[in-house]
Amino acid sequence: MMDELVAGFGAALTFYNVAFIFMGVAIGYLVGALPGLGKGTATAVAIPITFYIEPLAAIAFLIGISKGSTAGSAVSAILMNTPGEPSSAPTAMAGYPLARAGKAQKALKMGLYASVIGDFVSTCVLILSAQSLADYALGIGPIELVAILAFSLTFIAALSGKSLVKGLIAGLFGILCSTVGTEIETSTERFTFGSFDLYEGLPLIPVAIGMLAMSEMMVQIGDRRRLEAETDLLRGSGKPEDAYVTWEDWKKSFKAIIRGTGIGIFIGVLPGLGASTGSFLSYGMARRASKDPDSFERDGAIEGVAATESADNAVVPASFVPLFALGIPGSVIAAILIGAFVIQGVTPGPLMFLEQAELMQGIYASMLAASLILLFIGYFGQNMFARIIKLSPSLVLSTVVFLCCLGSYLQGGGMFGLYIMAIFAVIGFFARKYDFGFVTFLIGFVIGDGFELALRQSIGLLKGTPEAMLDHPVAIVFWVLTIVGVLAILRRKKISTESAT
Amino acid sequence: MPKADLIAGVVLMVSGLALLFFIIPAQTEQDTGAAVPPDMLPQICALGITLLAAVLTLNALRGKTPDAKPPKASEWRAMVAVVVIILAGAALFQYIHPIVAGLFVTLATMLYMDERRWHLLLALPAALVVIVYLLFYEFLGTAIL
Repeated sequence: MMDELVAGFGAALTFYNVAFIFMGVAIGYLVGALPGLGKGTATAVAIPITFYIEPLAAIAFLIGISKGSTAGSAVSAILMNTPGEPSSAPTAMAGYPLARAGKAQKALKMGLYASVIGDFVSTCVLILSAQSLADYALGIGPIELVAILAFSLTFIAALSGKSLVKGLIAGLFGILCSTVGTEIETSTERFTFGSFDLYEGLPLIPVAIGMLAMSEMMVQIGDRRRLEAETDLLRGSGKPEDAYVTWEDWKKSFKAIIRGTGIGIFIGVLPGLGASTGSFLSYGMARRASKDPDSFERDGAIEGVAATESADNAVVPASFVPLFALGIPGSVIAAILIGAFVIQGVTPGPLMFLEQAELMQGIYASMLAASLILLFIGYFGQNMFARIIKLSPSLVLSTVVFLCCLGSYLQGGGMFGLYIMAIFAVIGFFARKYDFGFVTFLIGFVIGDGFELALRQSIGLLKGTPEAMLDHPVAIVFWVLTIVGVLAILRRKKISTESAT
Repeated sequence: MPKADLIAGVVLMVSGLALLFFIIPAQTEQDTGAAVPPDMLPQICALGITLLAAVLTLNALRGKTPDAKPPKASEWRAMVAVVVIILAGAALFQYIHPIVAGLFVTLATMLYMDERRWHLLLALPAALVVIVYLLFYEFLGTAIL
């Protein structure tokens, strides 16, 4: 294992790769720091560029963007009380009062250190666990795979939005969209409406850019007055008096970082829970552990920033465990990365460790390198990024709209990609506003092909005899888990609705 | 009564029924001789969407779900504006020149967002086009048009 990783470092640490990791982390950090632009948007928009670069550099570049943007979202949370992403909302609660008290630099630095620690430890867990899980996953057949995919999609649908019903509708719609094009077994057309462009199905990247990035731009442009007001607020908020993290701060935050990292890893491995669950849970536990919990929002708390950022950043690498080991995207970033892997001719899943062993070790090495580069860029570039986010939203959003159009054109077969992106931007806009879980849609869309293939093979294997299921205990366990999980989630949501009313 | 959920539920239910009875039969083949027909998964999805939409509608009628927040007027306008900008950009791309389309998309978005500083209106679209040219044609060494 260590030998392979060392070889992976050899492959990853070339000037070419490191330059792309560096660029990825820097771009990600900047985009993450800009209010309203999250890691999903940043990664989706960057994918088309990766078509033209080498596989390892391409994947490392995208992972750098996702890591950088996760950490960068703390900058606007602390300085502007506007989280770059929902998962950084608790950072704003504990960090913004510190900034107002003149301790912005201290909060920013602690946020960065906690981010790097959470991210690095989580990456190590990924490296140590994914291959073992993948070895086991190689023995999984189509019947088990159908059960695991159904479990994952239901779990994601239930937990990524407010309504399980809406989440499931979005997931099913995603699978339905994946059936567009030529059907593999019979070579017949489905939903092509006579369009030659649709014979190969809906292109993933324009769909992802439309659903994630362009729909977000529509919402942000529609809400630009609020954005402009928030950007103005920043101009009066920077009063750095305490410019470094003291030993006392470390003592206060150490336990919160360890706990937050553990929570982030656990939440990340489970498909669908997402970074927000991890960061809020970690913040809540840090608050509960404090002697004066009310001071977190009143005066700010360095351990609150540390708890949130460590958990938030630990989620990202951990969410790659199901992707690498099983080929199942557990998060929106993982779903987008599948697009990048496919562009590079790699199918994510357990076979990657056998067929692309060198690439996998290179990816691991790049992920570890990205953690260290994140520390470097964050430490030396934080002040510069803080200045850049003062830019007018009209400049930032119009640039993103331009990049969305360019990306869809490049990866969607020309103008066809642009039209698909526009259609899915409108669908994504309504999905956002009516809480239909666009993440669940995207994951359903990505797993749709694999799900259909496994379903066909399962039907063939079972030969119409349901009792043959008894020979597949793993599948039974996942079906039971799906049902029990749904019932438990419905019960929890019912209780929370009743207590709210 | 959560009105937004009610409308969404009814629209989805009608769409699901249209899929089941009109679109799927017209757009997929049923008698291919395959053990699993090509329309099976679309039928399962459409059925699931229809049933779940019915549940959503019922829940909304009974006032059991927290209502979603429908788009504000400014968000509606932005959605329409962005789609118009994209389509106009596509037309310029096809009938005039890709560079004109690129300049237009950025400039139109900035103008829609009330950006009136002329130096920025000139500089940003031009800078983006130049950066894209340098990135793809010079740095990555590939043509994209």
